[in-house]
Amino acid sequence: MLLELIITLVKVFFIIGVTVVFFAPVLTWVERKQSAIMQDRVGANRADILGFTALGLFHAIADAIKMFTKEDFIPQGANRFLHTLSPIIAVIPAILTFAVVPFGGQYELWGTKVNLVISDLDVGLLFVFAIASIATYGYVISGWASNNNWSLLGSMRTASQMISYEVTMGLTIIGVLMVFGSLKLTEIGAAQEDFLSWGFFMQPLGFFMFLTASIAENKRIPFDAPEAESELVAGYFTEYSGLKFGMFFMSEFIEMVTIGAIVTVLFFGAWHIPFLPSATLLSWLDFLGTNWANLVLMLIHIGVFFAKVIFFIWFQMTIRWTLPRFRYDQIMKLGWKILLPLSLANILITGIVILAIN
Amino acid sequence: MAYFVDRTVKMTWWERSYLPEIIRGMLITSRHFFVNLFGFVPFFLGQKKEREIFTVYYPEEMAPIPIAYRGRPVLAINEDNLPNCVACGLCEAACPAYCIDIVPGENTGKQNQVERWPKEFTIDYAVCIFCGNCEEACPEEAIFMSDDYEIPMLDRKKMKFNLEQLSVPIEKLKDRVEFTRKMYGKWNY
Repeated sequence: MLLELIITLVKVFFIIGVTVVFFAPVLTWVERKQSAIMQDRVGANRADILGFTALGLFHAIADAIKMFTKEDFIPQGANRFLHTLSPIIAVIPAILTFAVVPFGGQYELWGTKVNLVISDLDVGLLFVFAIASIATYGYVISGWASNNNWSLLGSMRTASQMISYEVTMGLTIIGVLMVFGSLKLTEIGAAQEDFLSWGFFMQPLGFFMFLTASIAENKRIPFDAPEAESELVAGYFTEYSGLKFGMFFMSEFIEMVTIGAIVTVLFFGAWHIPFLPSATLLSWLDFLGTNWANLVLMLIHIGVFFAKVIFFIWFQMTIRWTLPRFRYDQIMKLGWKILLPLSLANILITGIVILAIN
Repeated sequence: MAYFVDRTVKMTWWERSYLPEIIRGMLITSRHFFVNLFGFVPFFLGQKKEREIFTVYYPEEMAPIPIAYRGRPVLAINEDNLPNCVACGLCEAACPAYCIDIVPGENTGKQNQVERWPKEFTIDYAVCIFCGNCEEACPEEAIFMSDDYEIPMLDRKKMKFNLEQLSVPIEKLKDRVEFTRKMYGKWNY
């Protein structure tokens, strides 16, 4: 019992450490640097500690210090309670989603079964969607509580956009469920051991629709109508400053990691290496003894999983710095007139194919 | 003339799906990303001498400046370690911003010294508009526009440069001297 508790705590600290402490600040640096390199620029490289710049990595620390020390401003006429509450509602679901995302398989170490997921829920995938849609409230409340017209417009756009694309996301997932026959994310991950049984090959259309819908959910360019700088100042977080703004900012980056993780688990073979089943890898590591071999295998799987996540983060960044913003009516048209019928057709085709194979 | 966009072009179904253009754009940006990544990250780590990205990292390195560039005006010091200036006051008169201030010194008998020289020569860079009229007016090749443009300061009073601060050996200004001879010689000043 105590051992289980300790293992769970270690996993929680690992996930919090990776997402909040490591990914969120480093991604601000990655975004600056990648956009700079893509546009033939140099990028942020001024912040230094004792003349040592580390390619501009310290900008993340400088950002954090700036956000901690800035004035926390609440505009006149704003609802103070909701104004403070909404960034919390926005950031918590982003972190909470990781509770059910498996970042490795099941391993037996020194007689203890280690399952690399914090909470192995039977309805894991539904949990992800249930939690992710709570974040919508945060964005809507923030716009209303700010007492600012731009904010309200931004939050109205957020609400309509997120609701529209949630439909597509949910329907796309049904195709994945039909293929793997499970809502448990660990089982979906474990079912993709064989390279050709990856979700990407089972559901190619579903993958592209899911990625599009999840980028739209994250409100990043090309779907950044809710925070369009040239139209709405900064959208729903116009009136936020200091750490509250930082929380909105952080939720965006954590959500990027979440999207990467869920796409990896559902479509890109989770922690599996293509053409290299775990059993083969384990037999190569056999000279270490069973326990140590399992430990090394676990670390390799964690590394592979996060490598895939990092690839998808890179992919999202590339999209963000390549495409221009869609107009609002184009976003709605894409969501309701193109993606929704396509996702329904995807379910139909998947059903027919499964029926034909059986 | 008005510019008309032809919106009657019939796009194919594949083109209308917007995907091929997305893929093309992504290919271009990611090509730039990888070319620059392997072109300039090794340089940054000191493994490579040449950088394959042409952006100039300004404070560390400066772009070469064309000789016609008008930087801050300076006083040329000749081989005898004296300013070429004879304190005639033509630059002072030519200056449209009134930023030059000269106090002349006169020879009082010693014939081996120069006849006339500037006792004090002040240029207020906070006022100077970098027009180059002083250089054009100078009959003695004494004042030149240098290629130095890094003169911003936090204190406005410190922007008044005196004779010592303005002095630059004439060897450093050789190219500019040639250039002014070529440019202003046309009018036979």
